[in-house]
Amino acid sequence: MINQDDKLDLLRTLLLTDDRQLAESISTKISILEETLREKDKLSEKISPIIREELEQYTLNMPKTLGPAITKTLKIQIQESKDEVVEALYPILGKMIKKYISNEIKMLSESIDKSTKEAFSSKGIKRKLMSIFSGVKENDMIISALAKAHVEQIFVIEKGSGILLGSYQTKETVDEDMISGMLTAIKAFVEDAFKETHHDLQSIEYDLYEIHLHSFHKYYIASAVSGTFTERLENELENFNFEISEDISKKSILHDRDALEALLLDRFKTYKFTEE
Amino acid sequence: MTSKKIVIVGSFGVGKTSLIRRFVDETFSEDYKVTIGVHILKKTVEIQENIVNLIIWDTEGTDDIEEIRKAYLLGTHGFIYVTDITRPKTYENLAAHKTYLNEQFGNVPIIAVGNKTDLLAKGSIAQMKEDMDFLDLLISAKEGNNVQRLFERMAKMLIA
Repeated sequence: MINQDDKLDLLRTLLLTDDRQLAESISTKISILEETLREKDKLSEKISPIIREELEQYTLNMPKTLGPAITKTLKIQIQESKDEVVEALYPILGKMIKKYISNEIKMLSESIDKSTKEAFSSKGIKRKLMSIFSGVKENDMIISALAKAHVEQIFVIEKGSGILLGSYQTKETVDEDMISGMLTAIKAFVEDAFKETHHDLQSIEYDLYEIHLHSFHKYYIASAVSGTFTERLENELENFNFEISEDISKKSILHDRDALEALLLDRFKTYKFTEE
Repeated sequence: MTSKKIVIVGSFGVGKTSLIRRFVDETFSEDYKVTIGVHILKKTVEIQENIVNLIIWDTEGTDDIEEIRKAYLLGTHGFIYVTDITRPKTYENLAAHKTYLNEQFGNVPIIAVGNKTDLLAKGSIAQMKEDMDFLDLLISAKEGNNVQRLFERMAKMLIA
């Protein structure tokens, strides 16, 4: 017969065996965990794949989650530091422009090469002859043929007041009365600043335009020319101006805007600038 | 249509540019921007069936009128001399300056105006007008008072 103590022992064994085994198993796992945490390499081995996976997911979602915030921040940043942005962009733009110009020069050079190769064609011989008789260098003739000049606007402006007396233009521009005033102010400023009272400002260049200024006694004629402004065209333009001036005197139409503009239109249509 | 050159002269900060902006664009700004060199604007007015194209030259402010480049003043058909009624320094040489302009640039009309009447206390403009009888017109570029009238008066004088 089993006594009371044995019964208790048996009961303890039955109840606590599983717990002991569980406790031992937990204790082993904690030891492994402690060891893993203590040793960097082992920890890294376990965590790295998780971080890598998270990072990949984060990278994939970045445009969607952070995109708007980054764009907004950049906009504010650019707005607040315009000067710095311009400063940073300037060299890049400079390089781009330089590249563009180099390319254009290359194309021009190729065109000149082509023209030179055609030197013995009828066109080439004609150009050579024209160069000999006109005194204009053949190179200048080739270049001017490549960038033909166009007389685009002609203004007859009263000296001093800068009042526009008459104009002719091939295309719409900003207010011609204001152009006349500003041209007169610029002319007056340059002539006054350099104390050249007996000399007149003869041309103003900007971008691809040249404004040729031809002074007469009471007025001056300003002609805006696009393209290559050669000496030959300058001569022709001056002859054109002299003819207009002669007509203005003969017909006494300096202060008759309608008549003056009709004259400019008529003259401009009939006069043939060889550069055009 | 006839075109006339009007030059606005006067000391610093009297409101020359504001006056032109009020007349040409019908706007006013409290921001003060110094005029450098010369600025040209235009406006057409109709006076007794005559259309007059006013080419208005806005010059740099200066206390000494002889400092303005003569080249800017050549061929002027009429001057508007602007003063600030709150600053006596801006009109103390008015008579001498008018004489200089007429001697150097011909016997052309000169209208002297006192600007900034908006700074005066209400009801004091009539008294101010009496005290400053050497001015032809009191104006306010800020509120637009008498601005249109000023340029129309000038245009009338020029076509007369």
